[in-house]
Amino acid sequence: MTGLVGEFATPVAAGEVAEPLLEVTDLRVRFRTRGTVVHAVNGLSYRVHAGRMLAVIGESGSGKSVGSRALMGLLPETAQVSGSARFAGTELIGMPERELRARRGADIAMVFQDPTRSLNPTMRIGAQVAEAVRAHSSLNRRAALDKAVELLGLVRLPAPERRAVEYPHQLSGGMRQRVMIAIALAARPRLLVADEATTALDVTTQAQIMELLVDLQERFGMAVVLISHDLGLAASYAQDVLVMYAGRAVEYAPAQVLFADVRMPYTRALLGAVPQLEREPHSLLPVVPGQPPDLARLPAGCPFRPRCTAADDACGEAPPFTEHEPGHWWACWHADGGEEAR
Amino acid sequence: MTTVTRAAPTLLTSPGARLVGKRLLMAVPIVIGVSIVTFWVLNLIPGSAAQQLLGPEATPAQIQALEARLGLDRPAPVRYLAWLGGAVTGDLGTSLVSGQPVAGLLGERLAVSGELVMLAFVISLGLALPVALLAAHRPGRLFDRVSMLVSITGLSVANYVLALLLVLVFAVELALFPAIGFVPLTESVGGNLQGMALPAAAIAFPLFCFYTRFLRGDLVDQLQGEDYIVTARAKGIGPWQVLLRHAFRNSAFGLITVVGLNLGTLIGATVIIEQIFALPGIGQLMLQAINTRDFVVVQACVVLFAVVAVVANLLADLLYAVLDPRIRYGSR
Amino acid sequence: MAVAEVAPTVLRYRLRYLDVLVPATVIAVVVLACLVGPALFALPEPTGGDVLESYMPALSPGHLLGTDPNGNDTLSRLLHGGRSSLLVAVAVNLLGLVVGGTLGAVSGHVGGLTDTVIMRLLDVLIAFPSLVLTLAVAQSLGPSRTNTILALAFFSVPAFARIARAATLRLRELPFMVAGQLCGTPTPRILLRHVAPNIAPQLITFGMLGMGIVIVIEGALSFLGLGIPPPAPSWGNMISQGQQSLSATPSLVVWPCLTLFVTVLAFNLLGEALRARWSGR
Repeated sequence: MTGLVGEFATPVAAGEVAEPLLEVTDLRVRFRTRGTVVHAVNGLSYRVHAGRMLAVIGESGSGKSVGSRALMGLLPETAQVSGSARFAGTELIGMPERELRARRGADIAMVFQDPTRSLNPTMRIGAQVAEAVRAHSSLNRRAALDKAVELLGLVRLPAPERRAVEYPHQLSGGMRQRVMIAIALAARPRLLVADEATTALDVTTQAQIMELLVDLQERFGMAVVLISHDLGLAASYAQDVLVMYAGRAVEYAPAQVLFADVRMPYTRALLGAVPQLEREPHSLLPVVPGQPPDLARLPAGCPFRPRCTAADDACGEAPPFTEHEPGHWWACWHADGGEEAR
Repeated sequence: MTTVTRAAPTLLTSPGARLVGKRLLMAVPIVIGVSIVTFWVLNLIPGSAAQQLLGPEATPAQIQALEARLGLDRPAPVRYLAWLGGAVTGDLGTSLVSGQPVAGLLGERLAVSGELVMLAFVISLGLALPVALLAAHRPGRLFDRVSMLVSITGLSVANYVLALLLVLVFAVELALFPAIGFVPLTESVGGNLQGMALPAAAIAFPLFCFYTRFLRGDLVDQLQGEDYIVTARAKGIGPWQVLLRHAFRNSAFGLITVVGLNLGTLIGATVIIEQIFALPGIGQLMLQAINTRDFVVVQACVVLFAVVAVVANLLADLLYAVLDPRIRYGSR
Repeated sequence: MAVAEVAPTVLRYRLRYLDVLVPATVIAVVVLACLVGPALFALPEPTGGDVLESYMPALSPGHLLGTDPNGNDTLSRLLHGGRSSLLVAVAVNLLGLVVGGTLGAVSGHVGGLTDTVIMRLLDVLIAFPSLVLTLAVAQSLGPSRTNTILALAFFSVPAFARIARAATLRLRELPFMVAGQLCGTPTPRILLRHVAPNIAPQLITFGMLGMGIVIVIEGALSFLGLGIPPPAPSWGNMISQGQQSLSATPSLVVWPCLTLFVTVLAFNLLGEALRARWSGR
């Protein structure tokens, strides 16, 4: 954490010209509780472009969720957020709560991991969607409910009129996640953040929800940030991939580039932990060795150093996150291996 | 018979109805148990009732004669069953002291105690809701801290201590309210409320503190720990809407249960408060009967208090079942 | 950076224990004052005072807090009364902790019919408003200190039992409990070695709140003349006695009320602090 301004130049994907929809620069989040400080996000930078899907990949505790909630001021009061996040040219960090509220749902909407806990158990489905509709429009209760039913149909919830008067516990997990998506779409957001949106679902439902997201993205030209721990999901659906470790970006590239030419040892370790067909049957699945770092006591230098097989003395200093090849960014002193290492 | 059982399932197997039925069935043995315990407790020293009624000078013959007249010479289970049989038909016996039917005595005084309990309940809950909501709106801020300090203090004040302090300040020093003196509601509404104000406040304040603490704690837990609160905030709705439509809706269920469990304490408090303010309620009747060893009246009062507590608890459970959609519609 | 962080951390660390230390100190002071105060300050006896010395104001020579209608020293009565109140409260809570705790732990651990029978019986006792049942028991047994303890146990035993049972049920799911049972450890040994230490924090926390509750109800019983029989002092019967001359000498009511309040508040604060600590919030 030497604080070089140059380190935080924002990555730009290859061949891109348009102004990014969301530009996050040197985002930092820390939590202060009872004398300990947890550094959840430590200088995160990325860009999201309209109509594209960015996958943010990392283990639990890598700051991927916290980083996205920080954009909309959805973190608890113990969180201290600094850095910059410009949405369509407007700075979100430090924006007064009232103005931020007007943007939640309208500019950036979110879908969360656990659809069982993310819906209010005591409110009817339709009312919960209608509430999101009314938050950003002047529709009356009746019209908002009609709109809610329309939205439930849009996310392909079967029999939307009937489901609208039911309660969350009467729906299956997949249906609940469709409801969450309907809520997110209520004010036609320009950016949808799907925070582990398919993690709690079974594989079949997961695929259906992803197809729905991709379909809706194309239909409305939304940008999507797909937060996940699942590299396979990123490879299948996302155009751009950002890998996070210990609250910072460690590798970033368009999906094809990244998966063809992994540079950062952590990304490689993550890839190794994904089951692959060409691997010897019944061979042990390699796992990323060691534990994710304690965010209250981050080591100096490269945070991945204790778990990295390529680590040496150079890693005592944190490697900068820079664009080493056109469109391909990484933070590592030992990425030269490139193709040969695989 | 078959038509009834065939028609019944749709109604009886609905989860809400089943819960209601289960709770009702559980309340009956509790009420019977309550009456047995009361009967047993009041007969802990066998045979002494007649002795104590007649005083130490009574001869064994006099005692025997009185026991025979009161039926105390019969074995306890027989006496209990006779009492239960009477109680079910509304006959709670006759007072040993005044000779009046106990049911009539209770009826006269039920209105006074009922009014006191209702007033205290409405005041405490009516104040606790806004205070808890305001405190939970901004946890840790001044209003929250002050209200939490007041409520932990209030929870530590015995209601009789509070009653005497209220009398000292509002009746003795400021002379705003009468210290004692009951005016029936039928005579003068204003006079009645004036007489009820201090006793109701003495019961209501500790309750207010209890409800406030509970509700504020539950609201803050919801706001800080529940995912659907994040969803609601992510919709872009305002903090009050998040608090009222989301957190409070869910906290209300816990509050209903707590209120139901707490009503027993509320009606228990009337005993001592009615004594301090000389209100002619059930509590005062019970204390008079205790002092005159009128165990027939004591028994009826104790059972009545317990039955009211059981019924209050039952009502809270039923209200919960009616309001909570997870119970009303069952799980999938 | 590291140096700047340390100082506030240590301070905060100390402050974190204030919520326990302050009420615990208050309780220690009250207990010590009641136990050794009368001997230490050579206070007059709490009873058998001279009527000629009645209604003396506070700060009178030899009577720091004045005297009551019977000429007894108020401070002496306050401290001796405190002995009674604390003794009753400790006895009632110990009874509740041991009897109720055992009943609840056995009920929750053994389950089945034993559980059903015990819990249904306790449900009946819990259904009574606590003051009403203790009044009935106290009336039946007659006023005395032992009987007050017995009467109040009708309230404390079921309350402790419920908490012990709930805690035991939560414990039963945990792997080490299952392991113990699979190893064939005898039930009494499991209860003593594994259940008891694990449910103790919750029972002790409730015991602190229970101390406050019992002191209040004992005060109510004595206030109504069914607890500690006069002339022996207790906070409750001092308040009751003072009530008769409330407008003339309010101090006779104020002193026992204040002592009662401070003691109960200290126990409540300690209970809350322990609960916050042990529930990890």
